[in-house]
Amino acid sequence: MQTQPNLQEVIAKAFGITPNEITDELEYQSIPEWDSVSHLVLVTELENAYSITIEMEDVLTMGSVPKIKELLKKYHVEPIA
Amino acid sequence: MSLYELIRKNSGLFFIDAQTGHAVSVRSFHQSLSIDNRQGLVFVYSDNSIGAVEVLLNFLNSRFTVVLLSTQLHAAFKQNLENLYTPYYIYDPERPAAYGYNTIAASASIKLLKRKKPADYLIHSNIKMLLSTSGTTGSPKFVKLSDYNLVQNACSILDYMPVKSDDVVPLNVPLIFVYGLSIFTTNCMAAGTIVCTNKDILQPEFWTDFARYKCSTIGGVPYVYEALLRIGFFKKDHPSLRYMTQTGGILNQALRQEIVRYITTYNKQFIAQYGQTEAAGRMAFLPQEALLTKAASIGLPIKNGRFEIDADTSELIYFGPNVFGGYANSPADLSTWHETNKLYTGDIARCDEDGYYYITGRIKRIIKLFGSRLNLDEVELILKNGLGGQTVVCTGINDKFLQVAHINEQLEESTIKQVLKEKLNIHPTVVQVKYIPAMPLTPNGKVDYTSIMQSA
Repeated sequence: MQTQPNLQEVIAKAFGITPNEITDELEYQSIPEWDSVSHLVLVTELENAYSITIEMEDVLTMGSVPKIKELLKKYHVEPIA
Repeated sequence: MSLYELIRKNSGLFFIDAQTGHAVSVRSFHQSLSIDNRQGLVFVYSDNSIGAVEVLLNFLNSRFTVVLLSTQLHAAFKQNLENLYTPYYIYDPERPAAYGYNTIAASASIKLLKRKKPADYLIHSNIKMLLSTSGTTGSPKFVKLSDYNLVQNACSILDYMPVKSDDVVPLNVPLIFVYGLSIFTTNCMAAGTIVCTNKDILQPEFWTDFARYKCSTIGGVPYVYEALLRIGFFKKDHPSLRYMTQTGGILNQALRQEIVRYITTYNKQFIAQYGQTEAAGRMAFLPQEALLTKAASIGLPIKNGRFEIDADTSELIYFGPNVFGGYANSPADLSTWHETNKLYTGDIARCDEDGYYYITGRIKRIIKLFGSRLNLDEVELILKNGLGGQTVVCTGINDKFLQVAHINEQLEESTIKQVLKEKLNIHPTVVQVKYIPAMPLTPNGKVDYTSIMQSA
């Protein structure tokens, strides 16, 4: 399997914070950096990083870090933790 | 009749707390808080929850002047504003206490901070509300609005907005923005139910509530409609939805076509509007039939309003009873009210042969990022302070990017983005940083913004 980008780094880039701030406790709107604007940035970053196309309805379900991991499984992406 | 009386007259009105599902009649909020009977300022750090709505309604029905502020304002900005304006009351659910203030229970559920030593300064009796010219920069500059301004704005909107007495209206636009406030006032006067919620359109809970309460309408700036498109909102019918409203800029063509297809397929209405805080809300609206034929237009002036275009500068000038009574930069400015019906919008416009207006440019140094107004001079000042006094110049690129030009080769791009994110919550991806060896100046020594923008 080819090397996948680190998920924490992808999320951190979308929110403009450091990768070590990305924990499983993080939820949408739980920090100022994860708002409606950066949420859509995150969708695009994930799509680019893992070469996937995220379905419309899935955009709403990515409300926490564990949910993002779950979603990536659905798209057969196994990012290095 | 005052705004509050008009709201109270709509006696069938209910507010639903989306968090608990409880519905409360507008009658239950009548004098529900014990507050002093006097003049003064109340800072309301407002989200769109039912508590903030109750506080707002109680203070509208009082001699106090309401200052609407964002709960998300940086703590240091809150402190600065409170030091300057010394409000008599503060409503901030996030802060149980504050220096110089007693915490009082205004009701079983609502706590207010009350100033120990009330400041004594004159507030002109016309000034009912102070709205920030920008939500997040913490600028002490406020727009002075009268109760009459707010009522006139709401009545003009109700003239074209298809509001019905059994409508269910989600508060999905922040109340602290004049657009959100207009949605609130008009629907409190004429709709049936207001759903108080802090969930936004990117959260599944919002859509659960939308279906559960059978919401009739939704509003947003262009960015919100772009997000609606991304989540597939326009792919299916939302049976309870009757009409959508929009403001804060012109939609891009592809999005507009998708919306037209949606409203035609499912028989909905879409009303685009143009407004400003200085007009207590709206100045123009685009009738639905013109959505395709006059696509890039801001539409026609609202009832009781009219436009003129300055012959020399082409600046759009609005006349109407909803025009504000001047700015306040400090408490001293609260003693005066500048009575006028004329507003220089700062926008450059043209008018077509059918009387439809089009914005073609902007005179003021203001950009809109994701629908929020940002005063570039204020951003510049905050950034300079945050960088220890370095020279930076902020310009906008098509309302898509904030460009920061600087003359220090050592200055890291990430440092600039960090300050903007921390102080103003501006997302790093919309910031473009550019190093220039020397700051271009105009012949009279001012920063040459045009030249900086052209070199972008």
